[in-house]
Amino acid sequence: MTQPDCTHNKKNNRMFDIQLSPSGEVVMTGRLDATQCEAALQFLGRVDRPRVIDLGRLEYVASSGLRVFLLTQKRLKGAGTALRLINVRPQIHDIFRYAGFDQIIEISAAPG
Amino acid sequence: MNAHRTVVPGDAAHLDVLTRFLQEFWSAAQLPSAHALYFELALEEVFMNIVMHGSYPDLIARVELSLLLADGGLTMTVEDDGPPFNPLSLPTPDLDAGLAERRIGGLGVYFVRRMMDAVSYDRVGAQNRLTMSKSLAG
Repeated sequence: MTQPDCTHNKKNNRMFDIQLSPSGEVVMTGRLDATQCEAALQFLGRVDRPRVIDLGRLEYVASSGLRVFLLTQKRLKGAGTALRLINVRPQIHDIFRYAGFDQIIEISAAPG
Repeated sequence: MNAHRTVVPGDAAHLDVLTRFLQEFWSAAQLPSAHALYFELALEEVFMNIVMHGSYPDLIARVELSLLLADGGLTMTVEDDGPPFNPLSLPTPDLDAGLAERRIGGLGVYFVRRMMDAVSYDRVGAQNRLTMSKSLAG
């Protein structure tokens, strides 16, 4: 079986990319803006249990992107598990915090 | 003083065009990169609000973005010719709600208020005008 994979918006030099790593973590790279959210949701919907999402290379997220994490967390909680966001950069972490999402999703910062 | 403006149709596909316009302005003016994310985010929130709610039936809004550097800050103005709508009238979302009750609605405007120093709305003729400014110091 091939791993789900998608790369979008190649014309933008800061594109968005979402992949499944060999160790089973979802890795997001670049800019998760309103034009990328449906693709991100579809990707996450195809992953059985996207428990850990590595955001170490996520450069941008707005309320449209937070919806992706909210809907995924709701789906996982319904299945008795939960999401963990790791390596989150300081500015991205602030956006999650401003929205109060640190209370409903486990979020850990990038080390150092 | 340095003003720049561009006009796009209010459909989601043009978010990229506006974002690139802002990014190119940012590099050309050599503005501090630490503040870029806040303006990009505010632009997306305001533009997507217009895309989703700001058009008359069968008529896509015309959206104009203006950027003005003055007094150590940037003022970003977004105007559209959609129906009168003041996004600042939206209630603040419940940021303490549990997972099941969480909604995204209203969060975008809350972000804009939180990240900018000043935000104001005016209805000018047939236009909605949202003006956002923030100091680029520090």
